[in-house]
Amino acid sequence: MHDNVIDRNKDITILEVLDRVLNKGVILTGDVVISVADVDLVYLGVKLMLSSVETMERLKSGQAIGVDGVKG
Amino acid sequence: MENDLIYVYCISDSALGIARNLKSKDLKSLKFDDFYVMVKYVSESEFSEDNFKRNLSDIQWVETNAREHISVIGMIMEYTTVIPFKFGTIFNAKAGLQKFITDYTVSLTENFNHIRGKEEWAVKVYCDRKALCDQIDQLSEKAADLEKQIMASSPGKAFLLGRKKIDLIDNEMDRLCKDFGQKYFDEFKSLSESTSLSNLLPKEYTGREDTMILNAAFLVSKDKVLDFKWAFDTLRNKDENSGFIIEATGPWPPFSFISIKEKQ
Repeated sequence: MHDNVIDRNKDITILEVLDRVLNKGVILTGDVVISVADVDLVYLGVKLMLSSVETMERLKSGQAIGVDGVKG
Repeated sequence: MENDLIYVYCISDSALGIARNLKSKDLKSLKFDDFYVMVKYVSESEFSEDNFKRNLSDIQWVETNAREHISVIGMIMEYTTVIPFKFGTIFNAKAGLQKFITDYTVSLTENFNHIRGKEEWAVKVYCDRKALCDQIDQLSEKAADLEKQIMASSPGKAFLLGRKKIDLIDNEMDRLCKDFGQKYFDEFKSLSESTSLSNLLPKEYTGREDTMILNAAFLVSKDKVLDFKWAFDTLRNKDENSGFIIEATGPWPPFSFISIKEKQ
């Protein structure tokens, strides 16, 4: 297991990243801030990306999406 | 266009030096009372409410910026304790950020005390139901008993029992997923200070053939991280042939363990 996967950001799936940054951390709403409200919209993008031909090709060749964070 | 919106990455309660590898990212450390906030000035063309919403429908834009968000916080986290902000939190002006710090000082301090000296680790467990099905007689007493009955029965009875076994296997696989998920959760929980469960993500989001059965985050004391990793390696090796695939990632900024409560 690697000591710090953040350094290996590219090996972490976008899903894992979104899982952390979209709904967690300091979450503020109100007049003073602009923030992501429509999280479903972002996940719809992930779904579309995963169903795209390019992504399927990347999956087949074992790159990018689906690579676990502790390999190697 | 002038960059006058303030994109916030994280807060620290100790001075934030900007490391060499972050200098090119136009980051600034702003001090408010006892806190240091890592920000970047961004343009309305990208981050005004309407433009930001439009950009959220562009998954490539989201990916680039979400990865940058976590990467910046991750690099800062290497040398100080940080409270991360949700991706895309943007203040219109410094006054708003100052008001936030003033209003939430007590809560921020409590959060720093909770996360200091600890790391967030994420564990996702998937079940390959086909592999699990192949092992079912070894893992389920009920399935093994029924198999023995089938072997000892006449062809007609064996056929009926075989159909019964199909239903039983489905139920037993569901039970095993629940039991193994709980086992992994309990094991990691025993090495953690806090836990956080997230929704299980369906296959169309994971892009995987197997089924997610656990999606959890653990807040682990730095002095227990080696034990945590050892437990991960042990469980992964022990159960890999049963159809359970465990993945762990970390250390993450403590996104899952931040609870900011507004001052009453």
